[in-house]
Amino acid sequence: MNNDIAIETEDLTKAYKSFWGRRKILALDKLNITIQKGEIFGLLGPNGSGKTTTLKLLLGLISPTEGRAYVLGKSTNDVAIKSKIGFLPEESCFYRFLNADETLDFYGQLFRIPGKERKLRINRLVEQVGLEFARKRPLRQYSKGMLRRIGIAQALINDPDLVILDEPTSGLDPIGTKETKDIILALKERGKTVLLCSHLLSDVQDICDRVAILDKGKLQLAGTIDELLSSKNVVEVLIRNLPDEAIIEVETFIKEKKGEVISIRNSSGTLEDLFLKIYAANISNSKADV
Amino acid sequence: MQQISVIARQTFKEAVRNKILFVFIILGLTTICCSVFMPVVGDGREKIKIVESMCFRSITFFGTLAAILLSASSIPTDIENRVLSTVTTKPVQRTTIILGKIIGFIYIIGVELIVMGGVSYALIKFTALKQSLQGNSELVAREQFDPDTLQITGESTRKIGNVSWIEGGGKGSSVWKFKGLYSKDRNDDLEIKADFLVESKKRFSLNIPINIKIINPGTGKVLTESIEISRNKPDLLRLSGESLDGSGELTVVVSPENSGDYIGINSDSLRVFFGKKSFGYNFLKGLTIISFQFFLMVIIAVLGSTFLSLPVNILFCLFVFFCGNITDFMRDLSTVINVFETHEHEHGLSVLMKKSNVFMILLDYVIRKPILLLSYILPDLRNFGVGKYFMDGINIPCKTVFMSFGYAVLYTFFCLPISFVIFKRREMA
Repeated sequence: MNNDIAIETEDLTKAYKSFWGRRKILALDKLNITIQKGEIFGLLGPNGSGKTTTLKLLLGLISPTEGRAYVLGKSTNDVAIKSKIGFLPEESCFYRFLNADETLDFYGQLFRIPGKERKLRINRLVEQVGLEFARKRPLRQYSKGMLRRIGIAQALINDPDLVILDEPTSGLDPIGTKETKDIILALKERGKTVLLCSHLLSDVQDICDRVAILDKGKLQLAGTIDELLSSKNVVEVLIRNLPDEAIIEVETFIKEKKGEVISIRNSSGTLEDLFLKIYAANISNSKADV
Repeated sequence: MQQISVIARQTFKEAVRNKILFVFIILGLTTICCSVFMPVVGDGREKIKIVESMCFRSITFFGTLAAILLSASSIPTDIENRVLSTVTTKPVQRTTIILGKIIGFIYIIGVELIVMGGVSYALIKFTALKQSLQGNSELVAREQFDPDTLQITGESTRKIGNVSWIEGGGKGSSVWKFKGLYSKDRNDDLEIKADFLVESKKRFSLNIPINIKIINPGTGKVLTESIEISRNKPDLLRLSGESLDGSGELTVVVSPENSGDYIGINSDSLRVFFGKKSFGYNFLKGLTIISFQFFLMVIIAVLGSTFLSLPVNILFCLFVFFCGNITDFMRDLSTVINVFETHEHEHGLSVLMKKSNVFMILLDYVIRKPILLLSYILPDLRNFGVGKYFMDGINIPCKTVFMSFGYAVLYTFFCLPISFVIFKRREMA
């Protein structure tokens, strides 16, 4: 197997059976994907498309009905390879009576990370996910977003080579979403492989190198964002500070050249951009007040 | 090993923080303390018996309940809450998770046993002290001796099941030989406890007279007693320990006095008590045996939790606990179901006869055989019963402690691999 490949599946299929052993649902149908080391790969699809099933198969939580999967060159049944994997489940499922420090310590011990090193990592991760203010609070008192943050921290406790994130931004506010995206991008910079699955297309578009789109358990499309979104006969031109008369002239020019103008409008940006702009301004104001 | 310890500590921490452990301890202690206020008819020994009985029953009941509820619920709850989905994505073998959980449950049950056992011991000692101050009674743990050999002689000896029937009037007798009867204090009383089945051709007779001949083979001294024994009611004969003359051997010959009277015996029907052991040590042995039962229930509950849902697993464990305490009854029931009619044999003793018909065959396959099979498959929890020893003030033989340990280990070797295989194959969906 190629050493540059982080994940490879061969006709990976999962069918859930009824109580009587008959096939009930085909959750995943002959999935073939290859994820290179060091890339951020997005798995997209509507609810029930087979995204989470794929992740569970890759993590060995469930067994495939047919086909095979390899993670970091090893079979998914290999327990030892899990020491190089970090996983954030779709729902943050942890022992609710533990606090953030204890939770990370528990998972750190499962990875056999030595005490001192574990303590350093816990401090760094708690700070990184912004939970210093609640690190001694039991998880049952956490909000959904806070649970998501501790989930991300536990996924990174072993400094994994491969990070698998199921809906990483679900339940997070725009700042949390931005911070999570930054963490993912930082992981890429450190040469880590990230497989994330989400139905929030904008998140995936922002950070993923390549994506695969699943629907009803089948792979519909796979490729880089540019490959999938580029349209060869449509050109987008962004212009700043152009007077209205000039816009009319440009439009006339295009018509003369037998081109079709689809729309001319002022650039609006996204709500996320606006929110982050206001948040950044508030932060700088409060710093100035201090 | 480190991972097992991590999971075990986690399991213990969960029980402590969820306060489940304290609930069981408080309930158990309340029942134990209530035993002091129980009204008693009889002497001081009866009062101690009541306290001892209540203490051991409370420890057994609440300990087993805790063992069942905690260990039956932990894994299914973790699967349902998907906590185990996260844990199993770490480099942890599933067998490690099972072992960690079991050790965690042992910590929990151990704490409960220590607290409840400690309070019980203090309470029994206090009660005994109070009674001895009033000159009533003291705590004893008498040494019990089983017969070395049992010989049955006579023409009319019949054997039904493991019970041998002996007719009186000189037609038959039973000879028990005891060896190794030594005590630190030779002045201790030597007690002979006879627990016979009784039948008589005189249908309404509840008591029959029997002759007991006690022979000291060393000195040749013979002591003959004639007593009346009742149907299924044990009788006690008390002698001075000096009658042994330090020989450590005793032969007891028993036969019904009159023709037409029968006694039913087996190897356990006659026992000798001689000498006393420390009550504290005996108490510790009792707790040890109870802890083996808890361990066994934990193993069974963990086995159930690998493939059953939470409510079904709790019901399964309670069923095992209930049936485990009535295995004898289940075997008797299966025999009773097998009976169609009864008639009497020539000596007037009842004999069970069976006669086949369609209904009987159906009953045989649908009820009798499954009940019989269950009685052999399910653990016989009476092997862990220590109440009878304390009620009778008998020292628990070390053999019993080892036997109960072996029994628990046997079931563990049977159940644990099955748990591993099932849990390994289980999908964490």
